[in-house]
Parts: sequence; structure tokens; C-alpha cells
Amino acid sequence: MTAPLTLRAVTYHYPASTTPALRDVSLEVRRGEVLAVIGNVGAGASTLLLVAGDLAPRVTGGELSGTVERSGRAALLLPTPWTQISGMAFTVFDEVAFGPANLGWPRERIATSVERALTRVDVTHLRDRDPTTLSGGELQRVILAGILAMDPDVLLLDEPTAELDPLAARRTWDLIRALARDGMAVVVATSDLDALPDAADRVAWLEQGALRALGATREVLVDAALAAESAPGSTSIAAVWRSARLPEPPPLTVSQAVERLR
Amino acid sequence: MTVLDFAAVSFAYGSRPALADVSFTLGPGERVALVGHNGAGKSTLMRLVTGLLKPTAGTVLVGDWDTRSRRPDQLAHRVGSLFQHADQQLFARTVREDVAFGPRATGVPAVDASVRVARALEALGLEAVAGEHPYDLPPPDRKLAALAGALALEPTLLVLDEPTAGLDRRARGRVAAALGGRAAEGTTLLVITHDLDYAGEYLDRGLVLDHGRLVQDAPLSDILALGSGLEDLGLAPPPLSRLSAALALPGRPIRAREVAAGLASVAARNRLS
Repeated sequence: MTAPLTLRAVTYHYPASTTPALRDVSLEVRRGEVLAVIGNVGAGASTLLLVAGDLAPRVTGGELSGTVERSGRAALLLPTPWTQISGMAFTVFDEVAFGPANLGWPRERIATSVERALTRVDVTHLRDRDPTTLSGGELQRVILAGILAMDPDVLLLDEPTAELDPLAARRTWDLIRALARDGMAVVVATSDLDALPDAADRVAWLEQGALRALGATREVLVDAALAAESAPGSTSIAAVWRSARLPEPPPLTVSQAVERLR
Repeated sequence: MTVLDFAAVSFAYGSRPALADVSFTLGPGERVALVGHNGAGKSTLMRLVTGLLKPTAGTVLVGDWDTRSRRPDQLAHRVGSLFQHADQQLFARTVREDVAFGPRATGVPAVDASVRVARALEALGLEAVAGEHPYDLPPPDRKLAALAGALALEPTLLVLDEPTAGLDRRARGRVAAALGGRAAEGTTLLVITHDLDYAGEYLDRGLVLDHGRLVQDAPLSDILALGSGLEDLGLAPPPLSRLSAALALPGRPIRAREVAAGLASVAARNRLS
């Protein structure tokens, strides 16, 4: 079975920029996996999602070399949900239906997929609200519902938990895992490293547009280079373990730490 | 001396109540987290402090100023703010001009203003991009630029909505250090945050809003120790406080340095080295 998303030797320049935002990036995203993309601000994680979602260079302009292969539909959640709202809907229900309606689906299929998406993201109680009156976190979930309603094969999420309270963030990570279990390929750019041991199968670490590391979550997150001052860091448990000067490799989670100290 | 005084404050958007009977006071140099569910009323409270909204009932005092009788631009002499969508706070052609706008508009003499601007840019590591157009910067740097604008006002009170969200570790460190420095000089910090790692590490007192009511006003170490009770408030204890509880570290520390010391002593006791 072909991977739903494959990048081969992708280098991308934004318009009028001399330094590439992505340099020679090759990776494959498999059906049913969660791939987390981490890196400092400006390292290229958001750009990677724009390229994967066919927005760069198609919409943004700029120049791309290498190849991007997609099989099926890719959908992208931007980190700024208020820029992603359609502006065409007076209710949350219509907002979520906007995407599927544009795919030209029959009315019954739209209604079913909207209902399912609202339930999945736990926003059925907001269905009659005006989208412009929602809080940041509520809006982010509504936009995510709109994306899920289009039934994508590849889900691209840029900082999906940034606007959420901690409990809602945890629910979103659980949802991401569940979507992958259903066979979706999920790529998520995030700075919430503490969530990754439970949420991600693999981690891609970008540095100045290039892949610095790509591997199983545990393998990448215990890499001592990730703890360097200029790097994105690891989980807070790994960091406190290291500052206590306890033996490498550090545990990544509370339960791993407790286990190690037993 | 009171920097901010909420006395029985209520606010409703039309018929939809957002805050009900909220009372608290903040003193100089206090470092306070304002936490709670999405939609609990945190942003409304912030708008009441900055004077963008006026209370439906009760009184909001910034120092001795009643926000009812002051315009937001007057309140800006005492209150510096960072809104959640900081992008929308920037409008000048360069980062430096944007940061300088607040001090200029509040009548700070040009010489003092340029010192304040330089200080704010340095604190957040923005000197290198000071000449750039704000919209040429990635969103996290735009947020830092907006925060620098609030710092440059040198207000008695900073109200900040999610100052660390979307930032990488280095930028989070800069924000924490810059805000900590201002608090040490006596500036009061009121920080809306979901980032309980940041709050536990760098702030002291927690105000918890739930459905528009102030349900907790206590040291953050006590609030984070509520364990599963936190979940009802939309909160989840951060990893360090969970580890501290799981290992029953004495005093249940929540800050990295103390947790590390606790870990080291548990490890020594168990002869893990």
C-alpha cells in the first residue's frame, strides 16, 4: 500500500527569500501513524505542513524542488483558527458543513459527516452558536470539526492545542490518537513535547529547515542533543531528570520516572 | 498599596453572563496566574482591567482609578497588556516603532521612550529584528514584539493573555526572564495561561475562574496539589507536580530545581547512580 504522503528531497524557498525554509527533507507518513514535527520557531515545521497540504508553493508562491506525493485528501488546521473561519456561516453547524458542501457531496452525506465530526470533537453543544462569538479554544475545535467532516486521509495539524485549556488539550491528543487508530495519517507540528510520549509514534526534529532527526518518539526524545540550549528541549520529566544528574537515558514520563526510581 | 482591586464585579454580554461577583486585590510585584476553562471568563476579566469593557456591577480600580471614568488609553499609563491574538496589536512599519508607540502615546519624553524601547527589545532578544516590518516576522516573534510594546509602557500592572503559547523553549525562557525581572522591580503580573509548567515555575498565586466565578484564590503550589479536583476546572497538573506527588517528595515541590533536588535524594536513597 502506498504511503498517503511522501516527500522526497524537498527544498522550498518562500518568495523573495534567499534562505530555504525547508532543505532537502525526505520523509514518508504512513497510514495510522502520528508523526510529530518539532523544532524551534522558524525551523520549518509550519512550512512542512503547508507543503504537505499543497498550499506551498501553490498558494504562497515561492519555489519548490524535489517531489511531494499524496494519495487521497490532505487537510490542514492552521495555528490561527480565527483566520481559517469561512466567514460564510451564521451557525457552527453551517461552518462545519462549509468544507463538505464545497466538495459537492449530496446533502444527506454532508449532514451525516457534520454530525459525526461535531460529536467527535465534542462540540455538539455549540451547533447553533454564531462562530464569531466563540472563544479561541472553542473555535479551534470547530475548525477541526470542519476539517474532519471532509473525511481526509492525511490530517495536518499546526499547534492544535495552543489555544486549549490543559484538559481540552489532553482530549485533543486522545482524539488525534483515535483518528490514527482509524487509519488516518496524522502530522502534527507542536511545541507540547510533554504530550508526545503518549501521542506520537514518530518524531521529526527540524533545525533550520533540515531534518536533524527522524525516528521513534522515545529514540528522538532521549537524544541528548535535543536538550542543548539552542534546541527545542525534551519532556519536562527528562529535563528535571538530567538536572538531577541521574543516569542516561532519561525517562520521558512520570510513570517511567517512578519506575526507574523503584 | 493596591495595584488592582476587583470589588464584586459582574459582567454580561447582553443577556449572557460572563463574570459574576468577582472580588480580589493584587499588590505590587505579585506574580499571579489567572486560569480556568476555555470560556470561563478570563479574557473578559482582562478586558475589564484594560478598560475595554466596563463592569455591569461592582467596581474595578487600577490603583486609585475607577475604570468607569477612564478611557483605555488613559489606563494604558498604568496597565500594559498582551492580547491573545497579539498579531492584531501591531500596526507600525517597524518593530521598533511599534514598541515605541505606547510610550509616545502616553506622553513619555522621547529620550526616556527610546531607553524604554531599547530595554524592552533587549529583554526579549528582539534587537536583531527591530528594523523589520512586524508582519515579516513569524507569528511567535510578532507576539514577542507585542509583549515588548507592553513592557515599554513600564506600567504598574501587566495583564498578559497566554504570553508563552506557541513559543519555543528559548523564547519561553526569554519571556519568563523578562517578566520575572519586571516583577522584581515591583511590576504586578496578571497572566492568563494554560501553561501550568510556566505558571508553576515562575508565578506564585493562582486565581481560578469557573463559569464566570472566582472559585480559587490560593498559592499555585496548593492549587496544583488539588490533583483530580483540577480536572473539574479544566486544568491538569503539569508533569513536575505529578512526579512530585507520585514520589511523595517532601513539601510537594512544583519548581524544577526543587523537584530535581528531591529526585536526587530519592535516587541516592535507592542507590541509583
